Amino acid sequence: MIKPHSNRAWLLLLPALLILGFVAVLPLVAVFNYSFHDIFTLDTALWVGPQWYLEIIRDPSFWASLGRSALFSAIVLSIQVPLGIWIALLMLRIGRWAVPVLMMLALPLVVPWNMIAGMWLTLIDPQVGLLGKAIAAAGIGFDYKFTALHTWILIVAADTWHWLGLVVILSYASLSAIPASYRQAAAIDGASRLAVFRHIELPRIAGALSIVLLLRFVDSFMIYTEAFTINAGGPQGATTFISLELGEDIRSFTYGRAAARAMLDFLIVLSVAWAFIRIRAGRDTSPETTR
Amino acid sequence: MKMTRMRPSILLGLAFAALALFILLPFVQTVLLSFTLTLPREGYREGQATLINYATVFARPDLRDAIWNSLVYVLLNVALCLAAGLPAAYAIARFRFTGDRHILFALIAFRLTPPVVLSLPIFILFAHVGLVNSPVGIALVHCVFNLPIAIWILESFIAAVPREFDETCFLDGHSFGHFFVGKLIPVIAPGIGVTVFFCFIFSWVEVVFARILTVTEGKPITMAISALFGFQTDIGLVMAMTVVSLIPGVAMIWFVRNHIARGFVIRT
Repeated sequence: MIKPHSNRAWLLLLPALLILGFVAVLPLVAVFNYSFHDIFTLDTALWVGPQWYLEIIRDPSFWASLGRSALFSAIVLSIQVPLGIWIALLMLRIGRWAVPVLMMLALPLVVPWNMIAGMWLTLIDPQVGLLGKAIAAAGIGFDYKFTALHTWILIVAADTWHWLGLVVILSYASLSAIPASYRQAAAIDGASRLAVFRHIELPRIAGALSIVLLLRFVDSFMIYTEAFTINAGGPQGATTFISLELGEDIRSFTYGRAAARAMLDFLIVLSVAWAFIRIRAGRDTSPETTR
Repeated sequence: MKMTRMRPSILLGLAFAALALFILLPFVQTVLLSFTLTLPREGYREGQATLINYATVFARPDLRDAIWNSLVYVLLNVALCLAAGLPAAYAIARFRFTGDRHILFALIAFRLTPPVVLSLPIFILFAHVGLVNSPVGIALVHCVFNLPIAIWILESFIAAVPREFDETCFLDGHSFGHFFVGKLIPVIAPGIGVTVFFCFIFSWVEVVFARILTVTEGKPITMAISALFGFQTDIGLVMAMTVVSLIPGVAMIWFVRNHIARGFVIRT
């Protein structure tokens, strides 16, 4: 279906663009401006050029946090995406039970973000927590405060608990939209389960999947609230992600450096998203995927 | 679904039991503690079952106000996202126009902008125009991530309506406004439900903007919970407040349960 060309469509977009201009574009321009200044108070800002940027990229701790954030995103994506697709595939086999399962999976999405960590910390508390008591009874020492590996496990578990539902909802939505005749035809041809997934299901969910990948990448790459609440970047900086470094700069009132750091973080996120979309767009040119 | 229905195997049951355990355990913990007395109190024994935590939530004006504050800006945000998102989604679903692909990328970029990045200038900007401590300010700023989501979801629902539908209405002599409100909106009602759901929950759970924009008053429920942590935290009260904070979200899940799985496809 070819859509008619009409530039009056811009009029319909105007309210949305005005709001986004005010709450997103204007602040981004402001951050860009701050990042070239040394800001003592908001009235006395001193032009310093790219000094903050040079300072940050010469600082090894920036690269270390960047590495930690990338590692965290890699772990989170490689757990949540395959697990989410697998659960969505299993849900196709349970008929109308899928609705209560979806409702259950959506539950963690409605928990206030600062309480995600709160609920998990309580759960693993050795005195009051159900899991914490079980772990203690089993004689396993779990010490998220001082053992880096344990902090990592806790943050990954809490993040997976929080976001698995979104991956499943979006995968299931597109999987259940595949007409039954497609799978019947494959079954008659004697296609293996793997072949059905590879050639029938995967192409159909690619659109939803790419948005899941993008959303999960950015939100895990810039994880802040959960990581900060659980161990504030500790032990000894082992969970200091780039967003926590940025939060540190903001709280210590070094606004110029905070702004430069914010710009760098934003540019990294944006270039990954852009590269990703270009790759997707390149694949999408086949007529089969255009509606 | 008839074709794919198979005899439920034990393994399938086990897989879903494990999933339920993983998802529900933190909730079970929270609900249990919310009915437990966790700080010693005159005439009560620590650890006994009680309703005191919930009574405290509704007796304390700061906690009651926090629930109200959150509801106000979240509903305001949902209204804004629908009002601005519906025409925008219609434009993208029905027309090609100069720069349409750039708009789609810009929307993705806005959704992907981390709140921490924007927090500082948003505060300064809003302080200038008097939007700090106001629910309007939070409702506006949550549009950064909710408006793109609203446009994506609504666009996919509008695109699923054949264009002949619009043309028939215009031939019948309906004006654009009348067609939009009277004809199109009822047809895409499930899509509006899903949009309301996602905008509501993402605004309800957000912490970074909600914190920096409420300096002295208008504290949302998330900040009220944070404020309960202290030298001697009444964890039972914290959990009761958390359970209360889940009620609107759970109600939203219930309302959209049959539509939540209608996919939204995002084109770039």
